Amino acid sequence: MTEPTIPPLRTSARYRPGALEYLALGLIVLVIGQRWLVDLFDIPALQTGATVFVAIMIQATPFLLLGVVLSGAIAAFVPASFWRRVLPKNNALAVPVAGAAGALIPGCECASVPVANGLMARGVTPAAALAFLLSAPAINPIVMVSTFVAFPGEPELVLARFVASLLTAVVMGWLWLRFGKGEWLRIGPRTHLIGSSSFHTFRLTATHDFLHAGGYLVIGAFAAAAINVLVPPAVMNTVAENPFLAIGAMAALAILLSICSEADAFIVASFTEFSSTAKLTFMVIGPMVDLKLISLQAGTFGRAFAVRFAPTTVVIGIAASLIVGWVLLT
Amino acid sequence: MRRDVQAIILLLLGGAVLRVTWSDAYLNYVREGMRPFLFISAGLLLAFGAMAMVDAIRQLRTPAKVVAVDGLENDDAHDHDDHDHDHGAWSAWLLLLPALAIFLIAPPALGAYSVARETTNAIPPAEAQAPPLPPGDPVEVTLSDFVGRAVWDSGLTLQDRQVRMTGFVTPNPAGGWWLARLSIACCAADAIGTRIQVQGAPILPANTWVTVTGAWTPGGGTMSADAIPILVSSSVDVVPEPRNPYE
Repeated sequence: MTEPTIPPLRTSARYRPGALEYLALGLIVLVIGQRWLVDLFDIPALQTGATVFVAIMIQATPFLLLGVVLSGAIAAFVPASFWRRVLPKNNALAVPVAGAAGALIPGCECASVPVANGLMARGVTPAAALAFLLSAPAINPIVMVSTFVAFPGEPELVLARFVASLLTAVVMGWLWLRFGKGEWLRIGPRTHLIGSSSFHTFRLTATHDFLHAGGYLVIGAFAAAAINVLVPPAVMNTVAENPFLAIGAMAALAILLSICSEADAFIVASFTEFSSTAKLTFMVIGPMVDLKLISLQAGTFGRAFAVRFAPTTVVIGIAASLIVGWVLLT
Repeated sequence: MRRDVQAIILLLLGGAVLRVTWSDAYLNYVREGMRPFLFISAGLLLAFGAMAMVDAIRQLRTPAKVVAVDGLENDDAHDHDDHDHDHGAWSAWLLLLPALAIFLIAPPALGAYSVARETTNAIPPAEAQAPPLPPGDPVEVTLSDFVGRAVWDSGLTLQDRQVRMTGFVTPNPAGGWWLARLSIACCAADAIGTRIQVQGAPILPANTWVTVTGAWTPGGGTMSADAIPILVSSSVDVVPEPRNPYE
């Protein structure tokens, strides 16, 4: 009990003289300057960017909350022994089991980051938690149904999406098992989030995770809004005409647009110029790697993790899409 | 980050979500089906914020316990000191941005600017042959239904029919204006625009909402995603923005 008392004193000394006062002052200045702010946002491009930014935040907030409530519940109400019971002891086997479990839980990518973090903090092997992190937003029932609706008459695309996404998630889990290093991953034993009761623990964990991940979601939403305004749609259409560029372009687009996995099928269905395999690549990469996810992962697991994990996932995801696309879509 | 500041951020964000959901402004950003989830989210944020505020007040009242209670939330002070230290603290501040954007700017629904940037207009519909239009003279249709029929059905189902559509004015750089409407699959980030060239109508400023009655006429092109069909208008009425600006 002696150790933890030192850092709070240090932070207290630094923050006491004003976080709250600065916040109050800032809010007063903003409220007074509101007219000027509104005028500033009268420029159509800025206004469009602001709308897209708020839209992504409004759309993602319920899903992020669902994720932090789940992760809080995992921390507070599910004993660590539960995971040892349900997951195979053999880690190489636990990876596909966890990956397939992603098909059962309806959530989106914003929710799965705190959940995976919570699983790791509860002693689930990181490889299995990462397989779940990648597969849950990509192959859950809601996503499968929306893909089916977005591509009427092309059920093979739904199957291809399921297979390619699960394949990517499991391969990534195994790669982590073989080459991953624990030091890249920052999962603090969350002793500081243990409260006076189960409910208190739940509340502290959920609040902490929301504030932490939410800020990174803001960065991602901001970047996606900026790209939405800055990149002319005409540029995309030119790229689509080149079949070699198209697959890379679709992967890049999935990363830059940062669309929720529940909605991405509807978007990609509108890119009529692209081949089925290029569309599949978009739907495999999108739920696993995009601007808001990279930002969320960097915030949750640390930068060292994100710079390795995201590019590897892109490579494996493209490879899986090409293979599955070649087998199922031609 | 201090507990009271945490509480204020949560309360502001919860208040912002509640405000857009209550006032129907959420329809400028997301689909109608999100409403119950947004209410639940606002409730959760306000509850978490209120409980954090109670913690903060209790902390003030019992100064002896300050250190112990404070230790609960100084997450970065503990084990991952060496990596990105203040990270949790500063990233949470960013959550003020969406709350302030909602309270101070209240960004409107996407409009003419977004439509004018798009190059494609007509996504091939699911069915090759659209069913006949429902009865009615004029018959109310959505813009995407009209464009789908005009472009991918060679206008067969639109012949000799008067249609009525509601959308906003988007100036056509080549002259005249398009009647336009955006549709969203999930949120405004994925909005896709639909345009129809209106003939025989007075020039109106961009983003004016109008209800146009008229008849389809060939000449806008068919069987191409770039085709913009033409409507010869018989009446154009300026109307208020509909409750849901997207279709």
